[in-house]
Order: sequence, then C-alpha cells, then structure tokens
Amino acid sequence: MISKTRYIEDSKNLTSLLPSIRYVNPKYLFCPVTNARCATADILVKEGEHVNCCQKIGMRHGPFFDQPIHAPCSGTYLGTEKHYHRNGKLVDFMKIENDFQETYDPSVKTRTPEEIAALSKEEMTQIIKDCALVGLGGSSFPTYVKFQTDKPINMILINGIECEPYITADHRLMLEYPYRIMDGIKYVMQAFNCKHAKICIKKKYKDIKMVYDQVIKEYAGSGIELCLVGNYYPQGWEVEMIKNATGIKLKQGELPSNRGIINFNVSTIVGLYKAVKYNMPVIKRNITITGDGINYPKNFRVRVGTSIKELIPLCGGYKNPDKEKVFILGGPMMGASVPNDDVIISKTVTSIIVLDKTEYHEEPCVRCGSCVLSCPTHLEPVQIMNAVKAMDKERVKKLNPLKCIECGLCSYSCTSKINVTDYIRKAKIMAKL
Amino acid sequence: MTIVKENSPHLRRKADVTRMMSDVLIALAPTLIFSFVVYPINTLIFYAISLAIMILSEFIYVGLRNMPPKDGTKRTFKEWFQYAYKDHHFNRNNVLSASITATIFTLVMPAGAPIYAVIIGALVGIVFGKLVFGGLGSNIFNPAVVGMLFAKLCFGSQYVKYVDTWFYTAPDAVAGPSMLSGGLSSTLDNFVNNMNYYSLGDLFLGRIPGTLGEVYKITILVGMVYLLIRRSADYRIILSYLGTFTLLSLIVGLSVFGKNNDVNPWMFTLYSLFSGGVLFGAVFMLTDPVTSPINPPSRVMFGIIAAVSTVFIRYLAALPEGVGFSILIANMIACVLDHYEWSSSIYTKKKIIGMVCLVVIPALILFLCVYLGGVYNG
Repeated sequence: MISKTRYIEDSKNLTSLLPSIRYVNPKYLFCPVTNARCATADILVKEGEHVNCCQKIGMRHGPFFDQPIHAPCSGTYLGTEKHYHRNGKLVDFMKIENDFQETYDPSVKTRTPEEIAALSKEEMTQIIKDCALVGLGGSSFPTYVKFQTDKPINMILINGIECEPYITADHRLMLEYPYRIMDGIKYVMQAFNCKHAKICIKKKYKDIKMVYDQVIKEYAGSGIELCLVGNYYPQGWEVEMIKNATGIKLKQGELPSNRGIINFNVSTIVGLYKAVKYNMPVIKRNITITGDGINYPKNFRVRVGTSIKELIPLCGGYKNPDKEKVFILGGPMMGASVPNDDVIISKTVTSIIVLDKTEYHEEPCVRCGSCVLSCPTHLEPVQIMNAVKAMDKERVKKLNPLKCIECGLCSYSCTSKINVTDYIRKAKIMAKL
Repeated sequence: MTIVKENSPHLRRKADVTRMMSDVLIALAPTLIFSFVVYPINTLIFYAISLAIMILSEFIYVGLRNMPPKDGTKRTFKEWFQYAYKDHHFNRNNVLSASITATIFTLVMPAGAPIYAVIIGALVGIVFGKLVFGGLGSNIFNPAVVGMLFAKLCFGSQYVKYVDTWFYTAPDAVAGPSMLSGGLSSTLDNFVNNMNYYSLGDLFLGRIPGTLGEVYKITILVGMVYLLIRRSADYRIILSYLGTFTLLSLIVGLSVFGKNNDVNPWMFTLYSLFSGGVLFGAVFMLTDPVTSPINPPSRVMFGIIAAVSTVFIRYLAALPEGVGFSILIANMIACVLDHYEWSSSIYTKKKIIGMVCLVVIPALILFLCVYLGGVYNG
C-alpha cells in the first residue's frame, strides 16, 4: 500500500521452462526500411532480383551513423509493403520471398580461433559496424558506438536480468546457448583488454545458475563470473544493475565507461559472437509469445523479419477471442502497444504479450505517496502530474521530469489507478519546450 | 477479435483506494465496538446521525457537481438524476470516505454532547472541511477534526461533563477535572495536579471521563498495529509524531521535576502520552493521506510540527483540544512542506538539520518557559 513497490507478479512461469521452438521458416520475410533511429534509407537491390542470406540489401542513414540492412534469408526481393514496426508505427518493409535454399552471401566466413585472437579493437569495431549489431535488449543503440570509447575498461557486465514480467526470451537464450555467450564475452574482453566480466542474473534464476556454474569451470582463468543481483523491478536498468553488481553508484546520465564499466545485453553478446566468429549479422533471435490472451504461451527462435501472424497459430491462437485484447511488443511495463497484429519481428523485439484489456476506473488522487516511494529515480510523479494539470511550465521544469526512465512503476503502484506515467510523458514534452 | 491500443504500463497492482479506506474502517472497528459496549445509546445515536449526514451530503454534492448543462432542454427530475449519477460518479469510495469521517467524528465527540451539537458538527465537518474544497482527495483539513472543533467551540458549555457507565463512574471527589481541564490558573499545574486522581492503568484502559473513543488506548493500539501491518498508514508520521511528543513531554517533565521533586518525569511522560487524543490523533487523524504531505521527509517533518504544536497548546496555551488544533495546524503547513521549490523524496543534509532544529528549538523554549518562566508554579 503506502510503501515502496518493487516486486511485480512476473508470470514468467508460463514459459520459462519451455524449450524454444526453432525451424520456423516462413514463406515471406520482411525487413524494415527505416527504424526509430534511422529516418532515411537507400535500397540497393531491384525488384525481382535474387538475394543471398546475409547479403547487404540496403543502407539506413541515421543522424550520426549508417546502418546496413541484411537479408534474413535467400530468395527474391519483391518490393516494399506497409506493416507495423515495433514502435507501433506503420512503416515500409522490404518483402523477400524465401526460396528455402539457404545460400549464404560470400561475406559470411568462419574465422579460426587464431584469426580471432589477432583481431584488434578497431578491427572488431569495424566488423560489428558492418554487421549492423545493435543493442538487442530493446534499446537498438548501435553497439559499435559503445566500442569506440577510449576510456580504460576494467569490468564488463552482461545483463541477463530481464526484469520485465512475462518475458523469458533471454532466459531461454542463456540456458540454450551458454557457450556462445561465454565465447562472446571472451571476444569483448579481448577487445577491451579487460580482465573481469560478470554475468548478472536475478537471484531466483536457479536453473541459469546451475548451468553457468558448470560452464564457467571450462573457462577457468578467463575472469568471467556469475553475479546474482536482486529480484526486483527495475533491476535491469543499468544504474541499478551496476550498483548491485559492482557497488558503484552511477549518476543518472553518466556513461558507465567513465567508471571503467561497459555493459551489454546477453542477446547482443550472442549477436557479437556470430559477427566475430562467422561475420554474420543478426538473422535469428529469441522471442516469447505469452500473456493471458494466448492459448499456449511459447518461446521461439525465429528469423528476424517473420510476421507475427505466422507464429500466433503455433501458439494455439487467441484465448477468449470475443474479449478486447492489448497487443504489446516488449515488456508489459515499458513496451509499446500496437493497434494491429500485423507486426514484423525486428532485431529488437523481445516478446509479444497479448493481454485481455482491463478497464481501470480512475479515482481522484488521494496523495498516498506510493508513486513517490516507488520511483527508482527519486522523482515525485504526483507533483509532476499536478503541475501538468495546472499547465505550470516553471513548476514542471523545476521537478525535473527528464530524469524519468518511464519504468511505469508510478502507474503500477497508483492506488487510484491513474496512469501517472502518461502525465510524465506530457511533462517531458512541456519541459523540453 | 478486436485489438485496442493503450499506453504503457499495461499492468497495475491489485491494491486500490477502496482497500486502503476499508483498512482504516477495520482498524477503527475495535474502538467503535468498545465505545458501543460502554456507551451503547450515545454511540448508536451519534454514529447513526453522523453517518446519515455525511453520506447524504456527499451524495448531494456529487449530484450538484455533475449537474447537466443548462442548454435550455427541459429535464424531468428522473432524467436529471440519471444524468448526475451516471458513470459511477457516486461509488463505494465516496461512501467509504464519508464513513471514515463519520466514524472518527463519532469517536472524538464526548458522550455528554447534545444531539444538535453532533448534527451541526457533522454538517460543518463534511461540508466546510471537505466538500467545499472539491470532495475526496482535495480537502486541506481533516473534516472530522473541523467538525469536532466547531461543535466544541460553539457548544462546549452545553456538554454534560460526566456520563456514568458500568465501566467508569466519576467519583464525587473529582467532579471537576478531567485529565486535561480544571480550575487552576495554569494548564500545566492542572495536569500535574490531576495526575493524583487517576492511576496510569485507568488512563490506559480508558476508565476516565473523555470522548467516546479516544480514551481506549488498547483498541487504538490494536488498530495501529493493523494499519501498520497492512501498510495503509504511513509509519513515518506516527513514529515522528509520537517520538517527538514523547521527547518534548519528557523535557517538560524534567523541568517540572526540577521545580517540584514530587513529580516523577517518567510518569509525567506516560501520563501525557495516554491522556487526551494523542494516540487516536496520531493513528487515525494525522495519517489521513489526503491531508498529509507526499514526500517521506516532508511526512517526518509534518509529524514533528504536529507534535510540537500539541505540546505548546497543551502546556503553554490556555486552550483545550490541543491535538485537534495541532492537527489542523499541521494540515495547513503540509502544502508548504510539499512546495516544488524544495520538495524531494531524498533526505538531504539540509532537511535533516531542519528536522533537528524543529525538535531542539521547541525543547529549549519549553525548558525555559517551564523551568525559568512562570508556566509551572508548583
């Protein structure tokens, strides 16, 4: 009640022990032409042209970087089509017809361990840049930018916390591909010439701990260890993770590399492993389809570009189809809701959650203070909400809403069922004006 | 199947305002039941009157607030009624919040209050304490306290001093003082004087003249434990209020002890803690979230301010109802504590210094007034 709310019923038991379903090979695959970080793009292939798997078929242009588009399968390029992207916007997608031949582009080649050991940081950065590796935890921040830091790094943190409820994609990835993750960490440590790395997981993930206790024995002397951190939300936020894993209290907005720390998501590490070992971009990823609106929640490892419409029937379709549903990409606390199930899985989609729509009756605020107590950034959400309602710009600026990470705990903990996070989004716009 | 869009977060916790208000009612129940056992008729009449008045006022207020627009169309009373009360405008939370106010108001009225004082007090409390500010969640002052003080200040002389019950019969010898009133010139003299009339056990059990519910410390403590376990009241307010009050009372007690060695300062502290409405006010009135500040540090400061004003009003001013007035004073300052220029949810060094000053300076003033000044004459 009037207390710090940190524990959310996570419903991960729906899928956490189910194996990932692989070998889903759909007829058509889609690549987004533009995304949230890159507004313009050039398409390098013509309609009807044959493309190879992992071939560079386009180039997105962002404000300070270019990002190549790779074909997720071999087949024929059929032109563009409009679908929903993970941010809930309707954008152009390149449609590729799969020929099920799996012919790889000549750029895909296996590097021997000796070749990899000889790679310098600059060479590795170039490989990652060419493979268009981005933060696969959901941020889609280009990974090579993190690699360009010239600060000395003495600790690498691997984020396997997955603090959002329902999602188990990283959980399955950690259980199923421990060697790829360990090798990936070794490559990063080699690049930064760093002696220590920690894989951060929640304390309650006993199964992951059992796996890694064994696997780490094979990598004795590498400096990689397992680090158990708290079970609460938002433990996966980098400030909280760094605080619990290393004891260093980062100021908000400060880059971790200033303190000699660099952090990656586990899926990014697997992507990095593929890029360094096989010179291959991310063409497959783990996702979870779950929620109380799905008959049989399941984990998948699918090609990037698969339409969700292909996967829903594999999960037994929607439960209670007469009820209104909310379709969420990402976690239920921070994820975006899309108005249609015609969504394409991009590199950064971690899960699809289908929930039955619940109508909450909004009561007047009784100033219980739960949002203030729960806020991980020590803001005062209710005060910001009142300032927004009063349209008082000075007050909004003084209350500093730009510090908000939109974790959603203020709305979650609100006893009056007010969507406080929504008011803070408005406050952010007001404060920027 | 339809897919609808909504803004994140998509999950909400189960606890809501209804649960918080029901918890307060459940915590009040032992005191109300005990009061009913001791004064069956008075409690029943007072409670029925205040419940009826407060819920009815809330109902009428909701209707007036959601009046249909004056656009020239003629509406029958039935249409008007349906328009005003559609969409759950008047729901269980309105009833629950009015019931809490009514319960607290009943429990702070003395058994000897005349019925018209109860009616007028309840009406003033709910209308001028709450509804004129905008109803649930918008009031500045605690409506029960407003009603109680209005009734006491306007009709105090008409209150019958003692109502005998099976639980407590006023002995003839003390047909004057209750614990906090009397005939001597200074309130502190009275207080020390009255310590001889009642044993601490009687004070704790409630075998003293007083209001319907404030005097039964055991049931209040049971309610407090329940509220704290369910986290429906903020422990910071209760702790800082009772802690500061105990500390300042001990300082007054020690100062009195310095002048008159017959007075035990520890007994003095316990007597002041268990007399009047200190416990009841701390547990049920100060912790009302609507009238208390939002930030944790402000809440601690809120409790300290209330405690300081209680001690000042009780021992230095010649006024009754120290707890009631101090709650209103603290309510008044709550919005200042939450002002955006200095509010934050972190305990900064400045705030801790401010809190310490808020305790130390009144302690010094009390010591000077009681030990060196003429507040206590022995």
